[in-house]
Amino acid sequence: MLSRFQIRLPSRKLFSRHTFYRVQRTYATQTPELYDVVCVGGGPAGLSLVTALRALSATSKLKIALVEGQDLCRNRLENVPNTEYSNRCSSLTPASLHFLKEIGAWNYINASRIQPYHSMEVWDGVSDSRISFDWASVGMPAAKTPGEDSNIIAYMTENTNLTTALLKRLEEVGGISIMDNTRVSNIELGQDTDTLDLRSWPILTLSNGRSIAARLLIGSDGAQSPVRNFAGIESRGWDYNRHGLVATLRLAAPSSSINPQTQLRTAYQRFLPTGPIALLPLPGPYATLVWSTLPSHATHLKSLSPPDFLASVNAAFRLSPVDIAYLHSIPSGQTSELAWRLQHTRVDAARVPPEVEGVQEGSVASFPLRMRHAATYVGERVALVGDAAHTVHPLAGQGLNQGQGDVAALVGVIERAVREGADIGAGMALEAYDAERWAQNNMLMGVVDKLHKLYSVESGPVVGLRSLGLSAVDKMGWLKGFLMQSAAGVR
Amino acid sequence: MQSTKSLWLLRDCRTFPKIVRHFQTTKPHRDPHTSIDPSEVTHFNALASTWWDPHGPSRLLHLMNPLRHDFIGSCRAAPSRNQERGLRYLDIGCGGGIFAESAARLATTAHVTAIDPSSEVLDIAKYHSRRDPILMEPGRLSYQNVSIEGLKIPDKDEERYDVVTLFEVIEHVTNPSAFLDQVLPHVHPGGWLILSTIARTWTSWLTTKFIAEDVIRLVPKGTHEWEKFINEPEMRAWFTRRNGWTDIRSMGVVYIPGLGWKEVP
Repeated sequence: MLSRFQIRLPSRKLFSRHTFYRVQRTYATQTPELYDVVCVGGGPAGLSLVTALRALSATSKLKIALVEGQDLCRNRLENVPNTEYSNRCSSLTPASLHFLKEIGAWNYINASRIQPYHSMEVWDGVSDSRISFDWASVGMPAAKTPGEDSNIIAYMTENTNLTTALLKRLEEVGGISIMDNTRVSNIELGQDTDTLDLRSWPILTLSNGRSIAARLLIGSDGAQSPVRNFAGIESRGWDYNRHGLVATLRLAAPSSSINPQTQLRTAYQRFLPTGPIALLPLPGPYATLVWSTLPSHATHLKSLSPPDFLASVNAAFRLSPVDIAYLHSIPSGQTSELAWRLQHTRVDAARVPPEVEGVQEGSVASFPLRMRHAATYVGERVALVGDAAHTVHPLAGQGLNQGQGDVAALVGVIERAVREGADIGAGMALEAYDAERWAQNNMLMGVVDKLHKLYSVESGPVVGLRSLGLSAVDKMGWLKGFLMQSAAGVR
Repeated sequence: MQSTKSLWLLRDCRTFPKIVRHFQTTKPHRDPHTSIDPSEVTHFNALASTWWDPHGPSRLLHLMNPLRHDFIGSCRAAPSRNQERGLRYLDIGCGGGIFAESAARLATTAHVTAIDPSSEVLDIAKYHSRRDPILMEPGRLSYQNVSIEGLKIPDKDEERYDVVTLFEVIEHVTNPSAFLDQVLPHVHPGGWLILSTIARTWTSWLTTKFIAEDVIRLVPKGTHEWEKFINEPEMRAWFTRRNGWTDIRSMGVVYIPGLGWKEVP
């Protein structure tokens, strides 16, 4: 038996090449506080997870802690006028919506700031072949949520709206130790004491000095995930050498994307060789922009004056790739260049988004795009959800929805384990979660990645082939419907 | 004294074809006063260290455990006067404690007593239970290295158990009939005896002996003896002849590689 003054060797590899904290190999002198579930990361995935565990009766008796480095109150959506919208928005699928309703969070969403949309126009920037997505044309139903309009494809939601709703629901159910403004300084495995064998339990040392032990440690702590590093799980993928440029824009009135009788809204995405540009509707005359493009272009766009920036956006939906490339190369004057070139460009106004005429101050920002997938989602007493498990290109609007799908699956697995008397952190209990989600996510990310690569080609036979393919899918209702159902999470 | 007890019977079923044999003792044994076969104990001692390896020879037992709880749950769906207080379990032949631990964690459980004649396997069980603070709560789970004969036969009803479980045990005892006679007194009136075993059919010979032991070597040779397997009608007939046991139910299950344990309708 080791004396208390000897150093114990760690029984598993504790860090990979990317260490984010110093690993301390000290003998724990006091028993840490034991929790059944410790969830690190208070984003949409982490908040959904702890809310769901408290909302379901079988799991509601578990002792749960949520650890978040930022101040959870700071990002709350409070008293923002409906003329301003955050630039971080997500397209919630019907499956995600259904889950949020099940856990009772949707009641707290600010519905006036959500924009459902009913169709999507996607077209090739080089060849102009296009596909239109809407439920009516494929004759298939969307998710059967009672009381919901079954024509809706997805719901554009500000991320803060979602997290605020989850926080409010969490406050309503209570019973969780919420430790925000608290970072995790260290994670290591516990010790074998006289009373308990904690050698398989992760022990977290927090920045507030507390030490907590987790029966099940859940990493919802983002793409860099210290929890994933602790578990020694590799994350594989590549960078796209692209940035996602976002902004909140105001559309010119009258808006052709809004049919005054039916209030149907449309989302638009055009695939340019440098990356897709998408305009997604928000309530009223507003829309959110997600433009995946080269880092140099993103920097250039951020440097433009608002009128030139808006002209660049309008150009990206209307002009040829050659013209667009030229506009990226000049330091200013995009407004006049666009006006001149539009005289010579045939544009079908019904098939492009309305012109954008205003940009919300301070909303233009960009972030690098990458694809990453964890080698596995589970380890002994560890599980990963959301961005900690996978990062995907935003072109299909799936990232946040995949995270919600992960949470729904993991909560189901935990609930089954509790009802069967299993140790919820045991590998045997958790392997069902990995089986349920890993392959599915892998396939989706693979498809999104190939779409990105397919549409990066500017010329040659690939352009013709993909255009043929797109037009063909547009005409095959059953195939298009299948794709829509997969994207909606209902298949 | 007449007391009404419910018997639930869970069995592993290999459906085609069946050979019906009369229920009989199949092997001479050394000591007529004990149910323990020393060769069985030695065999399980050797398996002790792999018991909790989720990808080891005991994997199928781990995978079957949820079905056991489902079955018990469906039994208990019927109203019973035991619902006011927590349930008391006796797990006979607990092995490494797969079922005993899971029963001890349930909110409806008051106490689990788990016994096994193999000291090495029981050491593994006790060692493993130290990982979970719930199991270390006083009075929650206790392991005893005894056979059923070593347990004092209860005088008072309070000492009897609401659920007595015998999972994958009876096919390893030399005289099942005498063994069950010793088990029955431990069941509380209105309580349940739940057991599982392997049926004696060509299919079970093929899967548990030929494939599992000889071909893919999933479990060590000698883990099972086909002659000791018992068929459902034989078990049912035995209990029907006993006074005070009613409501015999059974469920058949089969393991399909890749899909897990599935109920046979």
